[in-house]
Amino acid sequence: MSAKLIGMLLVLACTVVEGLAQICLKQSSRRPSARLRWIVVGIALFGVEAVLYTAALQRLEVSVAYSLGAMSFVFVALGATWLLGETLPITRRLGIACIVAGCAVLATGG
Amino acid sequence: MTQEIPASPPLGRRVVAVLAIAIALDTLSQLLWKLAATRLPPSLSPETLLHAVAHDPLPLLVIGVFLLQLVNWLLVLERVDLSYAQPFTALSYVSVCLLSAWLFGERLDLHKGLGVLLVLAGVALVSASPTRRETQ
Repeated sequence: MSAKLIGMLLVLACTVVEGLAQICLKQSSRRPSARLRWIVVGIALFGVEAVLYTAALQRLEVSVAYSLGAMSFVFVALGATWLLGETLPITRRLGIACIVAGCAVLATGG
Repeated sequence: MTQEIPASPPLGRRVVAVLAIAIALDTLSQLLWKLAATRLPPSLSPETLLHAVAHDPLPLLVIGVFLLQLVNWLLVLERVDLSYAQPFTALSYVSVCLLSAWLFGERLDLHKGLGVLLVLAGVALVSASPTRRETQ
């Protein structure tokens, strides 16, 4: 596997971890009694993400890494719906699709 | 005094402010992180990492920016849905793209311009979507 491909897989792993971390942080504002606990779990997940992302950045241009990271918008939206019960209005879905498409265009530009 | 709740614009000024700060901090942390990563040795072991951090304060600065980002982001999440707020951070893609071209000499062409436009259109759509506002 080329360094670039490994870097891209590392970024994708980051996006999944990012989605989980964001859900923990949102949960912290909804559950005041367990606020700190959710924040700590969220930060721990960010720590995992940081290690993976640093390794990715050593193999990719920052614009490419950041562009692929846009998949986190999909994972965050899905997680917010499934785990937090948020609703996704059609304009928001279209907007997220546009954002991911834009980032895919940015990623293939390098 | 009654608290004024703006009816027409869906977002209060404070939400707009914390979202703007979130995007600025996001941009800053990305660029600093890239700079820090390029200055680290290629093979990462705990010893080389500690040695590098002892001689280069940049990774610590990155961590400081992350902490600020976290506190600010919690303020955002207290006020609006996660699936509403998070897509706004895509605006930092635009700023990172432009700034990394300038600072790191990464390529910027018509192709990337199209990507930037799509991201901007997407954020505009998300901002137009109704969100549940949470009051403390």
